[in-house]
Amino acid sequence: MKPMFLPEVEANPKPSFQADTIRMLQAKGEEYPQILHLFAYQPEATAHLTRFTRELMRGAAPLTEGFRELIAARTSAGNHCLF
Amino acid sequence: MAHITLPEGFPGISSLMAYRPETAKPLNELAHALLHLPSTLTPGERELIATYVSSLNDCYYCQNIHGAIAAHHLHGNEKLVLEVKQNYLAAAISDKLKALLAIAGKVWKGGKQVTREDIERARERGASDLEIHDTVLIAAAFCMYNRYVDGLATWQPRNQDFYRSRGAVVGEKGHVNLKREPVAVSDVPENDAAAR
Repeated sequence: MKPMFLPEVEANPKPSFQADTIRMLQAKGEEYPQILHLFAYQPEATAHLTRFTRELMRGAAPLTEGFRELIAARTSAGNHCLF
Repeated sequence: MAHITLPEGFPGISSLMAYRPETAKPLNELAHALLHLPSTLTPGERELIATYVSSLNDCYYCQNIHGAIAAHHLHGNEKLVLEVKQNYLAAAISDKLKALLAIAGKVWKGGKQVTREDIERARERGASDLEIHDTVLIAAAFCMYNRYVDGLATWQPRNQDFYRSRGAVVGEKGHVNLKREPVAVSDVPENDAAAR
């Protein structure tokens, strides 16, 4: 995997489920999406994003979860964001 | 006229927050953590980054409310806020903040526009990884907030006094636990309805 722009972000995961996931995948020698490092770096801020995403994508709503994920996937494709 | 039926008298994002409190709470908490809680970047600097990105996105409400909050933190210096929006390279701000605004501008164009050179320039001017990280997250988050506010065509009053007084309150208290009450429309005239 290529190093991230900010080595400090990559080197300093704080206790979080993202940090646990990184350690687990590193131990297996597997590649993993580096968004995990972003969420593990500053959980004081990014935990709110996780809660926001959970509410928006999994919360009670008239749109099905599948359809909501299709909207997210279509937008990410438009933004050329592979992950 | 908003694209969907929203509670009346709430300007900009506050109408959306009142409409959908479940998603509003983490959005407010994110803004509070990014812009208000202690950081090596001052609240004024961080609000300037938010204001700059909102002006690039042409979001009237966001650039005016965050510009007013920035001015509140900058001892009422509205001229500096305007300079940052018009040509930040000539504004009386630090070289570090200029390098961070350059990164924010790249994030606005698209995440992949940010280059290693942009990052190195900010580092050379004294920016830490945490400051660069927060700049990118503020810029990305405001692209979301701006599109949310304009994508539903929320009511955005043109009266600058509204933004000044609201900006002072948010500047003091931050972005959570704010009392949100409808503003009487007659108190906040939409001076320039054609600009909507």
